[in-house]
Formats: sequence, structure tokens, C-alpha cells
Amino acid sequence: MNAPASLPIDPAPAAPRADLAPIETIVGKLGRTREQLIPILQAIQAHYRYLPKEALERVCALTEITPAQLVSVATFYKQFRHTPCGKHLIRVCHGTACHVSGAGAISEAFEKHLHLPPGQSTDAEGAFTLEKVACLGCCSLAPAVQIDDGVYGNLTPGAVPYVLEEVRRAEKQGSTNGDRPSRNGDGAFGEIRIALDSCCLARGADKVFASLQHVAERFRLPARVKPVGCTGLSCHAPLIEIVRPGLPRILYADIKPEDAEAIALRHFEPRSWCNRLRSAATRALDALVDDTLPARNALPAEAAPVREFLGRQLRLATEHSGEMNPLDLAEYQARGGFQALERAMKERTPDELIAEITKSGLRGRGGAGYSTGTKWRQVRDASGLTKYVICNGDEGDPGAFMDRMILESYPFRVIEGLAASAWAVGAREGIFYIREEYPLAVQRIEQAIARCEDAGILGRTESDSAPCFRVVRGAGAFVCGEETALIASLKGERGRPRLRPPYPSECGFRGCPTLVNNVETLALVSWILRNGAESFTKLGTPRSAGTKVFALAGKVRRSGLVEVPMGITLREIVEKLGGGVPNGKRLKAVQIGGPSGGCVPASLADTPIDYEALVDAGAIMGSGGMVVLDEDDCMVDIARYFLRFANDECCGRCSFGRIGSRRLLDILERICTGQGRPGDLDDMQRLGRAMKVACLCGLGKTAPNPVLSTLRHFREEYEAHLAGRCPAGRCKELIRYEIGESCIGCTLCAQHCPADCIPMAPYQVHTIDSAKCTRCDACRQVCPVDAVKVR
Amino acid sequence: MPRVTIDGRSVDVEPGTTILDAARKLGIEIPTLCHLADHDPETSCMACVVRVNGSASLTPSCARIAEEGMAVESEVEDIRAIRRMAFELLLSDHIGDCIAPCHHTCPAHMEIPLMLRQVSEGQMREALRTIKKDIALPAVLGRVCPEVCERTCRRTFYDHPASICMVKRIVADEDFASGDPYVPERAPASGKRVAVVGSGPAGLAAAYYLAQDGHEVVIYDARDEPGGALRYNVPEEKLPRGVLNAEIGIIRRLGVTFRMNTRLGSDLTLADLRGDFDAVFLGTGELEPGKAYELGLHAPGTRLPANLSTLETAAPGVFAGGDLVRRRRLAVRSIADGKIAAHGISRYLRGLKPEGESHGCASRMGQVDRETIDLLMTGKVSSEDRHVPQTGPSEGFTPTEARVESMRCLHCDCRAKDNCGLRDFSESYEAAQGRFKGSRRVLVPLQEGSRLIFEPGKCIACGLCVQITCKGGEPLGLTFIGRGFDMRIGVPFDRPIADGLTVTADACVNACPTGAIAFADSELLRQPWEPRVAVEDRVHD
Repeated sequence: MNAPASLPIDPAPAAPRADLAPIETIVGKLGRTREQLIPILQAIQAHYRYLPKEALERVCALTEITPAQLVSVATFYKQFRHTPCGKHLIRVCHGTACHVSGAGAISEAFEKHLHLPPGQSTDAEGAFTLEKVACLGCCSLAPAVQIDDGVYGNLTPGAVPYVLEEVRRAEKQGSTNGDRPSRNGDGAFGEIRIALDSCCLARGADKVFASLQHVAERFRLPARVKPVGCTGLSCHAPLIEIVRPGLPRILYADIKPEDAEAIALRHFEPRSWCNRLRSAATRALDALVDDTLPARNALPAEAAPVREFLGRQLRLATEHSGEMNPLDLAEYQARGGFQALERAMKERTPDELIAEITKSGLRGRGGAGYSTGTKWRQVRDASGLTKYVICNGDEGDPGAFMDRMILESYPFRVIEGLAASAWAVGAREGIFYIREEYPLAVQRIEQAIARCEDAGILGRTESDSAPCFRVVRGAGAFVCGEETALIASLKGERGRPRLRPPYPSECGFRGCPTLVNNVETLALVSWILRNGAESFTKLGTPRSAGTKVFALAGKVRRSGLVEVPMGITLREIVEKLGGGVPNGKRLKAVQIGGPSGGCVPASLADTPIDYEALVDAGAIMGSGGMVVLDEDDCMVDIARYFLRFANDECCGRCSFGRIGSRRLLDILERICTGQGRPGDLDDMQRLGRAMKVACLCGLGKTAPNPVLSTLRHFREEYEAHLAGRCPAGRCKELIRYEIGESCIGCTLCAQHCPADCIPMAPYQVHTIDSAKCTRCDACRQVCPVDAVKVR
Repeated sequence: MPRVTIDGRSVDVEPGTTILDAARKLGIEIPTLCHLADHDPETSCMACVVRVNGSASLTPSCARIAEEGMAVESEVEDIRAIRRMAFELLLSDHIGDCIAPCHHTCPAHMEIPLMLRQVSEGQMREALRTIKKDIALPAVLGRVCPEVCERTCRRTFYDHPASICMVKRIVADEDFASGDPYVPERAPASGKRVAVVGSGPAGLAAAYYLAQDGHEVVIYDARDEPGGALRYNVPEEKLPRGVLNAEIGIIRRLGVTFRMNTRLGSDLTLADLRGDFDAVFLGTGELEPGKAYELGLHAPGTRLPANLSTLETAAPGVFAGGDLVRRRRLAVRSIADGKIAAHGISRYLRGLKPEGESHGCASRMGQVDRETIDLLMTGKVSSEDRHVPQTGPSEGFTPTEARVESMRCLHCDCRAKDNCGLRDFSESYEAAQGRFKGSRRVLVPLQEGSRLIFEPGKCIACGLCVQITCKGGEPLGLTFIGRGFDMRIGVPFDRPIADGLTVTADACVNACPTGAIAFADSELLRQPWEPRVAVEDRVHD
């Protein structure tokens, strides 16, 4: 190959050079081909915490990768940093739920307290690096921030200095996270189930797990502490479920590590005599001191809210939710896992399997809703000896994390679906493409693959009879959810979509016919294998069979993941499953489908959900993010939020995507800051419609949807902005904060104001200096008498 | 062989042919900026979109393979509107002026930045050629011109405008001082005769360009000596008569006949002229009140109505310019009129419709802030303030002074102004740069290689150069840096442009659809940008 000679490197480097020895090790381990470019860069970043320029030049010298290829890729993916990273990494979530809960003010507060000059992300001491992330997937903790490995939820701008202080203090004390114990109790009579998916971990479930194990071991409790997958009830994480034979299950919500012992001992008798005494004493003491604690958190599975949340759901992709150990292959098999596939491979032909999937009416759950069976058929019929199957786990919609949950909680189910598709289309190799922001999902799938290899279900090399699967990590590019971009990324290229046709089913990875299916689709394939196409078609609507998992977030009492039959109405999801809009506010709209979707107004809440009905309402199914908006949410701001996302994630290839989406955003920024002009709405409509027909890829074509749908249903809000008014009181430049006569002079607002614009005036009516006010809303939130008003 | 139908016309094409190539086979023009034969489709400009089989969304014809029975729509209004929008979007993020503000403002549209570059490199004869392409009497104008061009000089935002007029004057003076003044070549005799009435600036300029086009030119003037207002109204200390005579001398050497003491109206009539000559140019200056009828002209007042773009009058073959048609008395305007009328007359004599001068400026930078100016001041631009001639302003520059002064030019002009696809299509699709206002890319200072200019601000990220440098085996080449709106093209690892283009510079300059990558000397590449639409009936006369 035309590997370039080593690059001319400046002879006199000013800064001390990084030690480049690890580069040789990395390249030696990962390989020297272009396909390995992204893994190589990921390994370099893991080592140096950023990509030193000299390290990159070294890669070019050692591999067949050219400088042009390397730089184009290293600057495309958001994962890669090109300047040294601070000691602590702060990642402020800007997912949809966090956005509507004030993520912008959180970012600003961090910038302020770290004294970051504009455009800089690391503070002067090199202690903190501040980043924005599209979504941490902790929507029920909104607004959320991840610092190193810990997640801080429900933050306010006022709390930011204390959070920073805590991190600094912890560093001084040299606190370390102990290794998580992994042994389970044996001979258990019951189970203490604890969900260990990312949402729960973000709220400290690992510490609860550790203390449960500690208690179980110390008191030799007749119970097994079992890590399970997601229950969907993210808003109450961490969750513990007590399972005792013949007794009703009890669910404990919002558990802290210190609660674990009390809960465990309440339901299970210690088996050692002396410990029994001790525990009795503890319990007596607990009862005296605060027996309300576990009771406060207990949610008997029959309790109305839990029943409403769980009862209306129909678990297919998320079957056995909260019951199975994600990595226990034997348990998965005991519940029928891999058996249906085995039977199918023995008793049927691939064509028959494809016919079955086609008959089921299953449509791609990644968003577009293309018939899964038809897609399989096309790959099967495509000529070529080598074919590939890919599981698309590059879920990037802010506010959508159902694929992550499925990968973390049901890895074997997805592997089974992918194995079925590989057999059906004649592929020997499968790839899980999972975004790097989902480390637990990557780890679980890797471990699950290893277990399947041990069991002979999967092969280790291409020459084995069973297909062999591997995991490739994405590197931070929403656009790679588009299948041609995903394949480009696998080749070690920029994740740029290309024109289809040719479709990947004819010409995909390495130029071979390639099947790309979404995670949830594959999980449903496993269910269909087991239960048959007819059981699937019985669910849902005639056009959209089966169920769909939604990530419910925003202004609802109960947020989390729900799996519901197609055809259910939005109202049912929001009011029954979600428990309705809190704080007596009115439902305004539901944003569905994330940056490609739209806002369905409350007036259309009785729309039954299926692919076509949502399109008619101006939204799309998308991957299933569902953000509930109430009267406090500004629809123009929501449109701007999604356009900002589309801009951040645009690949930059075509003129309509690259410049068009920026021009749409420019207009929205103008409108939100009171600079709108009379022709702006028509301009946006014209440009948005042009983008819908002229952008190269699906993401570009759908990028204007958030604007077009809000223009369609909420035009009067846009017009109010043009007249200088934000009816919801969200757009900072169009509002001002005032303190009314009802102020009791408690000084709380003055204490919490991060901009020092409220002079402290005990027992007097306080005032706000509007010129200094940053509209962070902190004062309104702390005021005990609602004296702070937005005008 | 698949048969496709494009805009109702069918064509058989080889399997694998794109819709774009099929359209070319039919002679249907589909605009494109990012397509290059034998290269992978970039599908970046999206100007070539068409509708296939009535689909709601459009598809780039450069990448879509023609299939049997395909029905394609191209030249329909909604698709043209989408293409116009593509150009408008690209223009909205394209920083630069097609032509420099001074060039645009100069009534004669002289290519000022080119002249200044030539002077700064000591190429005085070339500079004179540049001047005389548009200005027939530069030594005269160098003394009487009110320096309109300098008022829009962008250098004003830094310190003071470049002293354009005085540089032009010394270039012309030096030409005469050389003893071998420049006399332009004459085209072969056309066999046509043209009468010019009035030997003022308009008439002299008209005669100068008409003679070059090969016509037989006779100038009539009522006075004893030629020059009109220049001779009889401008004081000697401002315009020494020797200078005027020298420039008239060049016009004589081009074969123009001067008939002095011949007054229109009394000595000869317009009807006589129209009978004796194939065309007439009237450059008499403003008429005396009430005299129009005597001269055989239909003028309501003291001025003759004419098409101010082509300078045609109501009478066929009769053109007019200068103070006769314009209220504002300005020698440079009159000289410009003489040039425009001469080009119009030549077209008329060939049976073509006269055209006004086209100075389409698809892209303009407009007013710029100090920060931008500081960026423009980098490189070879001199930071010295405007020079004053040592011997006094009335004496003009010495050649050395002119050279130093010319180095103050910011070179706002685009080197690719005559071979720019974006400019061509923006004009033909009437795309307006101001259609989408909003955030613009940050101007990156122009990088100069030994013979190359790289202006990232003008790049439309078509991607062709990335492909060309990759295929050409450049060790570094060019690459995409970043993504989305902020994506830029550059040399990897921040190396200079010359390191990226060691063997593929010519190919990149030729393929670049704008002036982002150009030769520093625009004269190196004078052929128009190949729009890569091989359409036979696309005539450039």
C-alpha cells in the first residue's frame, strides 16, 4: 500500500514531547489498517486523555493511514480532544429533559465558577475540563452533570460552587472507589434484586449493591443479591425488589446505601444466631429512631402508581424486565433464550425465517420504520459470498436511551436477534456498533459475546460454523446512526452519509451486502422467534405491529422507559404511565422523535401512536424519545434547542445540511433574542421545506421538522416573539425578573443569586438589578412565597 | 442500454451512466460545482438536484445512476428555485469580493488591484496594458480624475486609501518617457466606417477602442484642436497640453482621422453622417439650449436621451455618451462611455445586440471590521501609511514611490473572478448573496505559497481538492477538518498550503469551483472556469 514515509517533523519542538512508546504498542495490538483508525485514536485518547499531535504523526508513520485520513477522522468525532484535558472532566448533559430543566444555566454557572474565558474548556489550573454532552441518559435526574465517574442530579446553578468544592475536597482526601464485590450468596431462598443499568448506577446503585452484598454476607441472609436489568422506573432509581417465595414482591424506590441494611433485614432473617441478635437490636433501634425510612420508600408492586406505570405496559423487547441477571446465560436459556433460534435453524430454511419476520409486520425501530423482513430479503437476495450483519447501537437522540437499556439489560436477546439475522441472510460476521458514551452497554455485550463463544453459540473466528460477533465503539457522532455513515465509520472514515441507492443491502461494509438493524428491532426478533409472527401481529395496529419502547421524560411525574403496544394514545402514556404533568400545570405538547421529530400539541394527544399517524401529526416515531412539555416550555426555544443539536451533529457534507441548518438556527436565534424580522417565519418555512427535499441524507431531511412542526401548531408563539414577547417566559432576552410586594424579606433569593444582582435586604421587599440579572431562575425557584415573577 | 427520459426527451446511455451525464448527452444543462469526471461524486453542492420518477425528495444527478425507464425532471420552476437556494446558501458562507471595491466603483471599471500588483513587481508595461484596456487617456485622467475609486478603498478602514490615481499617472507618464509608447494592436480591417462627433474625452475614448476593433474612424470637431473640454476648460497647470497631445498622438497612430473646424448642424448634418458612415458616436458635450433640433436630434432639453447601459439612442446605429447624455460632468465617466459605446457599436456592426458592461458581483464583503482588516494586512501588504510624492503632490510619484505605494493594496479582488463556477451560476440563477443573513465563517488570512493563493473564506467545501490530492499521492494533501458548519479544508497538522500541494497544485486550481485555491498571478489562468457542462448551444461570443 501507499504508506507514507515518516512525516517531516519540526526539528526543535518547543514543548516537551509526550512519550510515544505506547503508540507502537497500541498499533501493534490493534493493527495498521485504516479500519483500525478509530480504535487506535480511542486507545491513544484513553492513554493521554487527549490526542497529542506528535502521537498522531507517529500513527501515520507506523500505519497505512495517511495524515489527511487521520486528521479528517480525528477532527470529525466529538469524542476526540485535541488539547490536554483537566484533572477532572465535567460533562454537563444537554439532553432534552435537561434542557427544559435549565441545563443552559448549569453550563453557564460552571463557566463562571471555573473562570473559563469564552471558547476555552479547561480552567487555568488544569483542574477541570468542561464539556457539553448530548445526553447522559439520566433524564429523570435532570438537569444532570457527570464529573469523572459520578453523576450529580437535579442541580441548580447555585449548587455548582458546592459541587466543585466537593470534588476538590474529595481529591484532597484521596478518596477512591473500591472495587465492586461480585460474589453472590449461595443457597438463597429469596432474591434481593437490584437494577444495575446506567440510570441506576448514575444514582449510586453500585454502592447500594455493595452494601446489600455486605449485609447478605455478614448476616448470612437467606437471599441472593442479584443484579438485574432495567425496570424502566428510572425516576425512582436505585430500585430494590424483594422477591420471596409465595409472598408479594415489594419494590423499594430511591434507595441510599445506608438504607440497604435496614431493608434487607426487614425481609430476611439472619441465619447466624449471634447476628440475629444484632440485627434484632438494630431493627429495634431503627424502629425507635426512624422506622419511616424504608416505609417511605416502599412501593408494593400492587400500589396504584407502580401498577399504572408497569401494568399498562407490554414487555416484548424488555421481557422479564427487572428479573434477569443480564449476563447469566443459563438464566436466559432457561427462559427460552436461543432455543427458538436453534429450532428454527434445524427445522426451517432461512427463507422460511425471513417469511416469518415479514409476516410479523415488524418495522425498523430505529426511526424510519422500514419492513425488517423486506430488508432481510434484500440482503439474502443480494449477490456476494461475504455478507455482514450490523447491530446499530449508535443511539444518539438526546432524551432517548432505550437501546442502551436493552443492550445493558438484555444483551443475550440482542445477540440472539443478530445471530438469527446472520443465519437468515447468510452472514458469517456480525458487528455491534455501540456509541462510546455507553461504556456499560459495550462491556455487557462484550461479556455476553464471550459467554456465547464459550457455550459454542457464537464462533471465535470466521472459520467457525457459528457466526462470530465483535463490538466496535462509535466515537461521538449522532450522524453515524444513519446506516451509510455508520458503515463509513466502520471503515475508519468520517461518518458522512452518502447517497442511497446503492443501499447497504447491495453495497455496504467492505463493499459487501450488509444488513443494518436497530437494537430494539433485534430484541423483538428474538421475541417473534419464540412466540411466532401471529402473536406479534395481534399487538399494535394494522400498519404498525407490536410494541415500541419509549423514553418518557420531561414534565411528567414518573419518567423512565416504557414499552407499550402500538396504537396506544399519547394521552394514555402521559397521564396513565407518566402520572400526568406535575405541579398542576397543563400539558402543552409532546416532543417525539428527538431532533428528527416534532411536537405533537396537546390537542392531538388522542392520536394513536403508529408510524404514519405520527408523521401526519408533524412528528416521527424516531427512536422513541418522548419529552413532555408543559405551559412553562417555550416552543420556539424547543425548536432552537433541536436545531442547535442538528447543527452540532451535522456532518458538513451537503450545502443544505451544512449551511441550511445553520441559517435556520440563525433565524431562530434572532427570534429568541427579540431580533426577529417580519419575513422570518416565511423564510424558515421555505428553507425548511427545501431542506426536506434537497438534503443528502435522512438526518438532514428531517432536521427542519422541529421547526416546521412548531410553526404549524404554535405559530402564534413565534408571532409573539416577533412582537418581543415570550409567552412561556423562557427566552432570556425577552423577559425580566421582578420581586413583588408579597416578598417577606427572607433573603433566600439574594443568597442564591449567582450574579449578585439582588441586594440583601432582610425583612424588606427585595429588588433585582435587571441589567446584571442573567435570568437563571434561581431566585424564583427558592422563593418560599412565589414573590419572584417573570415578565 | 438503459433508456431514460429527462424533461420529456429520451436518451439511451451506457449502464452505469449518471443522470448528469445522460442530461449532457441530451444537451440539457444541469448546474454543478462539485462534480469532476473520473472522480467519486462529492454530492456536496447539491446544485445538480433533479426529481426522479415524481419523488417528493430530490436527488443529486451527479451520483444517481440512470436506470431503465427513469423519468427525470430538471428544468422545472420548483427545482430551479431549490438550485437557486443552494447557490444562495453557498454565497451566504462565502467571504470575499468577486471584484474589488475600487474596481467596482471606478466608472471605467479598471482592474485596479491587478495594475497595483504589476506596479509592485515593477512590470510597468503590463500595468499600462491593464490600464488601457479600460482607460484610453490615463496620463490625462491621472491629473484630472477626482479619484472616485479611492473613496471605496478598503485600506481606508486601516489608515488611508491606496493612491491609485497617482500610480496610474506615473505608469502612463513612464510609458511616454520610455520613448516607445504602447500602441495597442489593431484588429484586421472590418470594412466599416464610424463617425465620432466631438473630440472630448468621450469621443477620443470611443475612437481609441473603435480603431482597435478594425473600423475606419473619423472624428469631427468644431474647434481648432482636439481635446474638447480637456483642452479648453482645464487650466494648463493642472493638465499640461503636452500630456494631452501625447495621448491624442497614440489615437492618431491607431489611424484615426481628425476633421477639425467642422461643426455639426452648420457644416454637416446627422443625416449626412448616417448616410456616409455605418455608425455614429455623438460626444459633443451638453447642447446649447434650443439647439437640439438644429442638429437633427430629438432632445427635449440640453441632453440627448440614450440607454444609459448600452448608450444607444433612438436612432439605429447612433450612439451617444459623455456630457451629452449625463448630467454629472466627469472626465472618467466620459472616457468610460466612449469605451462602452465603442464595444456597443462593434457589436451593432456585427449584427449583434449591443450589451452593457457586465460587472456582476455575486459575492461582496461589504464593510468590514477592524479585526478583519488586521487579518487582511498580513502577508506581503505594506503597513506604511499613504505616501506623498517627495517633490510635491502636483509632481506625482517617481516610479520607485509608485512601487512602494502599490504595495499598500489589500488585493480585495478575487483571482478567480473570471473562472468561478459559483459566480457564473449565481448570476444565471439570479441568486442573491444577501438572501440568508447570519453567522459567517471567520475570515482566515490568505495563505500564499510560491505561486498559490489559498483563501479558506472562499471555500465552499466541495471536497474535490481533497480527492485530487489523495489520488495524486500527496504526502500531506488537503483534508476536511472538523465537521458541520465549521468544517474547513486545510493541510493536515496545520502545515502551509505549499506543503499540501506539491504535485497537484494545477489540478486543484483547475478544479476549484471558486477562488479558494488560485494562482497568485491571475494572468496564469485566464481561461474561464470550465463549468463542466458540455452543452453545445451555450455560446460565449
